[in-house]
Amino acid sequence: MTGSAQAIPQATSRRGLDWDVMWERYGISAVLVVVWAIAALTLPNFASRDNLLNVLRQSSFVGVAAVGMTVAIIAGTFDLSVGSTLGLAAWVAVAVAARWGVLAAMLAGVATGTVVGSINGLLVSRVRIPAFITTLGMLFIVRGFHYVITNGDSARFNGKSFIWLGNGTIAGLPVPFWIFLLCAALAAAVLAYTSFGRYVYAVGSNSEAALVAGVPLRRITALVFVVIGAFTGLAGVLIGARLYSAAPGLEPGFELNVIATVVLGGTRLAGGRGSMLGTVAAASLFVTLTNILNLAHADPFMQKVAVGLVLLVALSIEGIRQRLAERLARS
Amino acid sequence: MTFGTTESKRLSMSRVLRSAQSYTVGLAVLAVGLVLTLLTNRFLRIDNVLNVLTNASVVAIVGLGMTLAIASGNFDLSVGSTAAFAGCVSMSLVPALGVPLAIVAGLVAGALVGLVNGLIMTELRVPAFITTLGMMSVVRGLALIYTGGRDIYLYGQTEYKVLSGGHLLGIPMPVLLALALAALLSSVLAQTRFGRHILAVGSNLPSARRSGVRTSQVLWGIFAIVGAAAALSGMIISAQVLTANGRLATGLELNAIAVVVVGGTALTGGKASLSGTLLGAVLVAMINNGLNLLNVPIFYQDLTVGLLLLVALALQVERGWNPLTQLRRTQ
Repeated sequence: MTGSAQAIPQATSRRGLDWDVMWERYGISAVLVVVWAIAALTLPNFASRDNLLNVLRQSSFVGVAAVGMTVAIIAGTFDLSVGSTLGLAAWVAVAVAARWGVLAAMLAGVATGTVVGSINGLLVSRVRIPAFITTLGMLFIVRGFHYVITNGDSARFNGKSFIWLGNGTIAGLPVPFWIFLLCAALAAAVLAYTSFGRYVYAVGSNSEAALVAGVPLRRITALVFVVIGAFTGLAGVLIGARLYSAAPGLEPGFELNVIATVVLGGTRLAGGRGSMLGTVAAASLFVTLTNILNLAHADPFMQKVAVGLVLLVALSIEGIRQRLAERLARS
Repeated sequence: MTFGTTESKRLSMSRVLRSAQSYTVGLAVLAVGLVLTLLTNRFLRIDNVLNVLTNASVVAIVGLGMTLAIASGNFDLSVGSTAAFAGCVSMSLVPALGVPLAIVAGLVAGALVGLVNGLIMTELRVPAFITTLGMMSVVRGLALIYTGGRDIYLYGQTEYKVLSGGHLLGIPMPVLLALALAALLSSVLAQTRFGRHILAVGSNLPSARRSGVRTSQVLWGIFAIVGAAAALSGMIISAQVLTANGRLATGLELNAIAVVVVGGTALTGGKASLSGTLLGAVLVAMINNGLNLLNVPIFYQDLTVGLLLLVALALQVERGWNPLTQLRRTQ
């Protein structure tokens, strides 16, 4: 591999700023700032400290898993099993915290995710089952396994330090949000500065070319699933600590929320391009949106409509712009 | 029946394998049936068999529509929401329009959702995955708003039950509907230009476009059919309990994709096995029924569906096929 120049698009081109790339990279962050500004000016309670902390805290759970999913989607694949993995990891974390403390709970939760991720990785890279099917199968298997071992019962633990992990603050910001930021920064650094990161972009842009160029395709693929498993496990720990209980079937549809977050953040579903900054902004934007609708006393079901519309509108912009450009070129 | 577009000598081997896949599902159905007949004394009773087939039909009807979507190289993640929306719309209109027109209204509602999916994909150039993911959320929200989150009951209007409880020559209506839909879609694929265009779009979109296929119209047609099929399933489910609500058919999309894939339709597009989808749905329904008859806790059903998916796919993976290019090919 020769550097990452081609894998990471440059923000400037011969004709100055490339608006496409700028939008892809910073669009959602800009939208988030504008939405926050408007909400702060129009909704009296939005800018209160408690409300903002709540928004940041709530964005962290999907966010941590979305950090892993960003890596997977940049590599041109994705993982549908994250919802089931999250539930299992949360349960493991709560159960372990009750006996061996918070640190052990974190390790156990992350380990749970890593194990599921390794199985996904092996099935995709060695048995060569397509990622969509592998992770769809694992969605059912992990959820089934979780129900079988727990018999459908939930785990509960309300130890002080465990609750703090999900609900406390450090230097004024929620603990889960700190962890989310750390994860995002770590993943961004790994993507930008390590050979693994460059390989991820290479595999996602053109896996056949990457293979020819000597990228260890199978190992990278397997590792990508381990990475997303580990992050999902951590998200599970945080949500377990937030609720200080975990039941099977926690957060149905979580996988699709996570994918929606990553895609809204500007990461291309086709692979090869994406940014962690966008994922962080998108996670906050989704939560902000629900929060605003709540504060405005909107029909709670409106939230689902709004979340879907935001995704569709954000993802349409590129297509609409393309069509306009084509029409201009024709006339 | 398995339909494919490319008919060259070089591919004859994979054609053999493909038809072998269709036999594999059939053999699996027979094998599981035999095992269940030996293990339980209730499996082969006529009411139980009809029950299994009825359960299979509800998923199979969506699955048949989904088969077309997958054959065209796309997915539809919005079918669960569409089923709920159409079920609610249809049932709420029964008092005003009467049963036949209400059923037509439900089908129209489903087809319209599908058409919107298609329009978003072709006019705004949003990938099918994102389009239907967004619409999954939007339509679910609309169904919940339409019903106000409450149940719609039909007091005394038991004619609606014809969809789920009707019989013809002893065969339950859902089974008849699934078979009729399979026959209809088979002849569409085999005998109409639209059918050939579906497979052409799925095997190679750019060359289909260059050879004059109106790819946009083809996609609108496909997604309208998927929407109508989802609506039919949704109405059958609501007819079974004479109740509809916005939470109906949650998670149906992944179950539908699972039976299509177990049935042997490749995710890469260009091929459709409608009979495989029917058999896939029967296989899953049989296994779930068998587990019930054997008093295995219901939790194990997820496990077996997941394992079935992985085993089915592990058997049909083509050699030299790179799983990482799978996502890109489907877009």
